[in-house]
Amino acid sequence: MSVGFRAVQWNRDKLVYDGLLLAAVALYITVFLVVVPRLEPPKDVLGEIDLRIRAFGSATFLMLTAILAVGPLTRLNRRYLPLLYNRRHFGVLIFFVAITHVWFMIDWYLMQDALPSLGTELTTWPDYGKFIGFPFKVLGLAALLVLFVMAATSHDFWLSFLTPAVWKALHMGLYVAYGLVVMHVSLGAMQFNRTPFLPLMLVGGFATVSVLHVLAARRERVIDQGTTVGTDGWLLVGTPQSIPDQGARIVAAPGGERIAVFRDGTRIGALTNLCAHQNGPIGEGRIIDGCVTCPWHGFQYRLEDGRAPAPFTEKLGTYRVRLRAGAVEVDPRPLPPGTPAAIDCKA
Amino acid sequence: MKRSHRAVHRALWPVLAVAVALGFALALDLRVPPDDPPATEAKTP
Repeated sequence: MSVGFRAVQWNRDKLVYDGLLLAAVALYITVFLVVVPRLEPPKDVLGEIDLRIRAFGSATFLMLTAILAVGPLTRLNRRYLPLLYNRRHFGVLIFFVAITHVWFMIDWYLMQDALPSLGTELTTWPDYGKFIGFPFKVLGLAALLVLFVMAATSHDFWLSFLTPAVWKALHMGLYVAYGLVVMHVSLGAMQFNRTPFLPLMLVGGFATVSVLHVLAARRERVIDQGTTVGTDGWLLVGTPQSIPDQGARIVAAPGGERIAVFRDGTRIGALTNLCAHQNGPIGEGRIIDGCVTCPWHGFQYRLEDGRAPAPFTEKLGTYRVRLRAGAVEVDPRPLPPGTPAAIDCKA
Repeated sequence: MKRSHRAVHRALWPVLAVAVALGFALALDLRVPPDDPPATEAKTP
């Protein structure tokens, strides 16, 4: 959290995250540039540039696959939450790896004084009517544009300016970029390179991302189906003991937004499941130092009233809770953000 | 994510996944056979 503007807020965890990320990318590129020439020695300088194009291109695809796997992985297992912590830096790095791929492609043309032929490739309009023979570089450039927009708006300034809901919707463009990259490789490199490596990489990456999303969606759908609603519209949560201590149970009215019902010892409070920072799933977080803590980036709120502890000013919508016949119930009509609503279930 | 975002996410994913899977399968199926010299190899990296 921050009470003032800072270009980038570094901390030890972010430095470790970025360091490991950079090391992994550097290792991949180095291994690629050392191993592949032994299998297919480049014939000339153009062959060497082509090797770099492939190294950075395949790195971009694998990084996109990895970043798209992070979301569902964290849903399926909390152990993967550290991967999500600095995901935005991961995204920005993907943009830089992708633009390096493009730079080597331009270099390939420059080496032959043939840059205009790149323009010709992109503006041979009849080719846009073909499937095999489609100007596949356009698909790559479109993906690069999406990655640029996402990298350019990755800062908290844009998150605040656009609002978390709009920002989140904008950043779903990553799925479009991924689809464009798969088709860029399918209609490009895969047509000229006969090794089974490229189809296997595409199928493996795409299948991994798809299966993880399907598994996570099946798990999430259960919550959205809604919980038991009483005659007066209150939702049944369960006994106080059914809520993990210093954790939460997530409930929702059919067709309604999710509500995180937390228990801290004998105190029970209900907050919106949307963190004020990035709409992260606050109900998947824990109570740390007496505050509800978002699992994504550690934003904290008091259980009592959903307000961030001073000097921070974020506040969440709260919900009325009650204990009836030994069971906790929650009123799905939200109270204004920051309204005290927690109860004690000692009795 | 808000409920509306999840709804968009759930609608967008299958459509994109099917479109890309079909595109990939078609691109693989229509590849020039290995015996034929690929006509475009010389002009593009």
